[in-house]
Amino acid sequence: MKLLLNLVYKDFKRNKVITTTLTVFLMISTIFMAGGLRVAGTIISSMKGLNELAIPPEYLQMHKGEYDENVFESFKESHEYIKDSFIVKMLDIRNTNIIYKGETLENSLMDNGFVIQNEGFDFLLNMDNEIAVVKEGEVGVPVYYAEDLGIQAGDMITLSKGNYTKNMTVSTIIRDSSMNAALTSSKRFLITQSDLDEISRHMGEWEYLFEFILEEGTSTALLEKDYIDANMPSNGVAITGSQLSIMNNLSHGLVAFIIITISILLIIIAVLCLSYIIRATLADENNTIGEMKAIGFSNKAIEKLYQIKYIFLVLIAGVIGYLVAIPFGDFFSSSVVMYCGNGTDEWMKWVFPLIGVILLSFLVIYRCKKTIHKNLKSSVVDLLRGDDRIKKEGHYSLPIAGFKNRNLSIALGELKCKWKEYVVIFFVFIFSSFLILLPMNMKNTVENPSFMTYMGVGESDIRIDIQYTDKLIEQKDAAISYLESDSEIAKYAIYQNSYVQLQNSNGEWEYLRVENGDGSVFPLEYIEGSAPKDEKNIALSYLNASELGKRVGDNITVSYGGEELLFNVSGIYQDITYGGKTAKANIDFEDKDVEVYIIYLDIKDGVDIEEKTLELRSILIDSKITPISKFVSQTLGGITDNLSLISGAAIVISLVLAVLITVMILRLITAREHSAIAIKKSIGFSNKDIRIQFAIRILLIQLVAIVVGTFLANTLGELIFGMILSFMGASEIRMLIEPVKSYLLSPATQLFLVFITVVVGSNVVKSYHIRDQIIE
Amino acid sequence: MIKVEKISKSFKDTKVLQDVSFDINKGDFVAIMGPSGSGKSTLLYSISGMDNINSGKVMFEGRNIGEMKEEELSDFRLSKMGFVFQNPQMLKNLSVFDNIILPGLVAKKESAENIRKRGLELMKKMEIEEIKSRDKSQVSGGQLQRASICRAMINNPEILFLDEPTGALNSEATDQVLKIVGLLNEDGMTIMTVTHDKRVAAKARKILYIIDGQIAACKEFSVDTDRETELDEWLKGLQIIA
Repeated sequence: MKLLLNLVYKDFKRNKVITTTLTVFLMISTIFMAGGLRVAGTIISSMKGLNELAIPPEYLQMHKGEYDENVFESFKESHEYIKDSFIVKMLDIRNTNIIYKGETLENSLMDNGFVIQNEGFDFLLNMDNEIAVVKEGEVGVPVYYAEDLGIQAGDMITLSKGNYTKNMTVSTIIRDSSMNAALTSSKRFLITQSDLDEISRHMGEWEYLFEFILEEGTSTALLEKDYIDANMPSNGVAITGSQLSIMNNLSHGLVAFIIITISILLIIIAVLCLSYIIRATLADENNTIGEMKAIGFSNKAIEKLYQIKYIFLVLIAGVIGYLVAIPFGDFFSSSVVMYCGNGTDEWMKWVFPLIGVILLSFLVIYRCKKTIHKNLKSSVVDLLRGDDRIKKEGHYSLPIAGFKNRNLSIALGELKCKWKEYVVIFFVFIFSSFLILLPMNMKNTVENPSFMTYMGVGESDIRIDIQYTDKLIEQKDAAISYLESDSEIAKYAIYQNSYVQLQNSNGEWEYLRVENGDGSVFPLEYIEGSAPKDEKNIALSYLNASELGKRVGDNITVSYGGEELLFNVSGIYQDITYGGKTAKANIDFEDKDVEVYIIYLDIKDGVDIEEKTLELRSILIDSKITPISKFVSQTLGGITDNLSLISGAAIVISLVLAVLITVMILRLITAREHSAIAIKKSIGFSNKDIRIQFAIRILLIQLVAIVVGTFLANTLGELIFGMILSFMGASEIRMLIEPVKSYLLSPATQLFLVFITVVVGSNVVKSYHIRDQIIE
Repeated sequence: MIKVEKISKSFKDTKVLQDVSFDINKGDFVAIMGPSGSGKSTLLYSISGMDNINSGKVMFEGRNIGEMKEEELSDFRLSKMGFVFQNPQMLKNLSVFDNIILPGLVAKKESAENIRKRGLELMKKMEIEEIKSRDKSQVSGGQLQRASICRAMINNPEILFLDEPTGALNSEATDQVLKIVGLLNEDGMTIMTVTHDKRVAAKARKILYIIDGQIAACKEFSVDTDRETELDEWLKGLQIIA
């Protein structure tokens, strides 16, 4: 063992740069492999744990208004498949009445309700994932606000309306398996029964959540149908357990999905590099292998000798990689841990990465063994002469008319012959450019105002929500009369939102959110067809259309007010709001059925959106007024913030990779071409000439790779992004690219860094003395 | 043409050359002989600027090559010196002909057409036109060495440095190379060669015999004597001294 360690040490001393870079590559691959798997393990454990401990309902129907508790009880008892159920009484408090650190929550898009702890299921958990308990005067605040506003235990929340003010101490942060996600637009605060009673006497509006847990194997669609058939209270949104988990998965899963995608890409790069490096370094050992064979070493002994080096390196890299992956993985899964806790299967985040590292180690050792095995098949003479490599390279011809630029011509000629040596670096450059651009473009797309069009509405500046109130009509009229008189408003349009019922592909009735309003004011780009032109047309959101199997021109029957209405599908649009399932039709809703009025407006040039928002808020105090940019970012929750984080990390990782692979390839190529370098020097090429030739080869490869990477980021990236967002309801995402960043700054930075690396790395050419190389 | 003044060179603690001085005049043919490890090749590479020296000077046409910058020295090598190595060295991604004309195209002293013409003439002279389009692995050692001489000659250098030019060749190939080297010198080319081969040395007019990094003996042949016999006797005498 001592002898073997000694050999490894000597080998390290001889090939310091290559061995160090190889180890760094091994480490990077293990970090990504282990880190990505740690993130995956944490997310699975967290989400599973939260669901196991909090037990979310499998069906939840929101309702505002009167209801008969006895009817609910008899419905429950008459359906055997209902395992458990109850009614949550939630006191909806307007955001303007909730004050934190002197500011109301009016900027928030969320609807906030106050509840007491449930019994049986749908528990609100504290940060230790235990059923949260609050005392009088205390409040449990949703984790969404802990992240968004930085609310902590010990802070004060004030509820205030008119002369009534109630200060409540935040005693715990709440994890809510039903309404955790930023995508769920309601949030629940936990208080005691006596506080709830007290507050309800001064403010708020009751909303009821009819929640059900079903016997195993029962479909929620069955309950949904029976619920509707029984004319049960349903003035509000109905959500199934699977929809809740989709929203939860999207909020946390989207970021995890991107991290894991990036990790997989990086693992592919790392494995590609490792494979190449092992082949290249071992090819350079051919001479030594030949010598060993010549003096009588057996193939097995040689194989063992070389393998021990790689096993040693893999061991070091594996241990370090695994350890570094702990903070790395934790950093990227911090958001899901905050929202869902560590879960009940924490072993996953330790075992998954371990399995990954072991698999990667085996892959490296296998690759190494295979390469040595192949090399050992050559005869001693072939190994010593290194002839087989010459045969594989072709020729290039010198230009007939002489050189215009000698270094360029020679570099291009050599590249033509030696392109195979650059395949790996080419792919690494493609990957790194792709990795830089993908999150960057995603971020730009999401942050662009026109992203609004994926939310089922054309571009506008401000959105006004008038909802869930007794004075819906009055508020709407007040808003319109103000907007009419405000000269700073360029245009506005009002939309009614209500529900109709329609039969899904299984023949079951379900609710559909329909918007009625003038679609021409803020025109929306349709994937297919166009906006409804008359009373007989309906436009469906992408998710609705695909679930119902409807296309433009198809007929669809909906039920509203006891009547069946026949519509023709005029268009399909993209929408990621309300679970992606909406429709647009000119249905004349009765005022009592209108759930929400939404007004979109554009302000005139030169008017500040923020100022106008504040002004509108001071006048239309009962309405929720949100600048569209905030609406988008709040709807997408932490996705945009996380995208910034991921984008930053991807840039750093990609650039480090590009630099490392350049160092590595330069070392290997200069070592391999030492005799060509010496010949060139002997016939009058200067060190500078030779270094320029290397730089041209590498930078040209990189330039082409950047073009390919950019193209892929725009096409494949768009597909990936579309795939992610298609779960939310947008299928055809057009990546919105910031040309200066994507087409200029990003390539320039990559090229510049690699150029500097080549300048520094090719310095080694100077140390190649003609006599050493040629006499050798 | 070349004045070597007291040059010394060491590798770590080993002195390879010690205070070596001599002159090479235009048209000279100097052979450096000596036992293995005596410093012959080091002397050749030091004079041609391919290797650094620790002390002393090498003046080439009045210029100290030790004081030249790397790029200047490269230019010097390109236009004024030609090199032929023991193992013929060629770029493997170029045909033999392109290898030969490469220094000519790089130097740009003449049109590409003229360089190609001269490349062909040199190949004809060396009787290797048939290998023009082949690569180095498809020709014999003798042919490759003659191609190396063509390459060394493409820019009409002032001096040709040969390092054991026949060391890796069989007898027939050695004869071909010897014939060419002799002809080149007759045409006025200054040549400096390192050799073990008495037949090569016998083509030279001046022999420097190196032992332990120093010139142990020097011999100048008169033109019309039987050089090989004279060299034999001289070397025998040297071995007695050694």
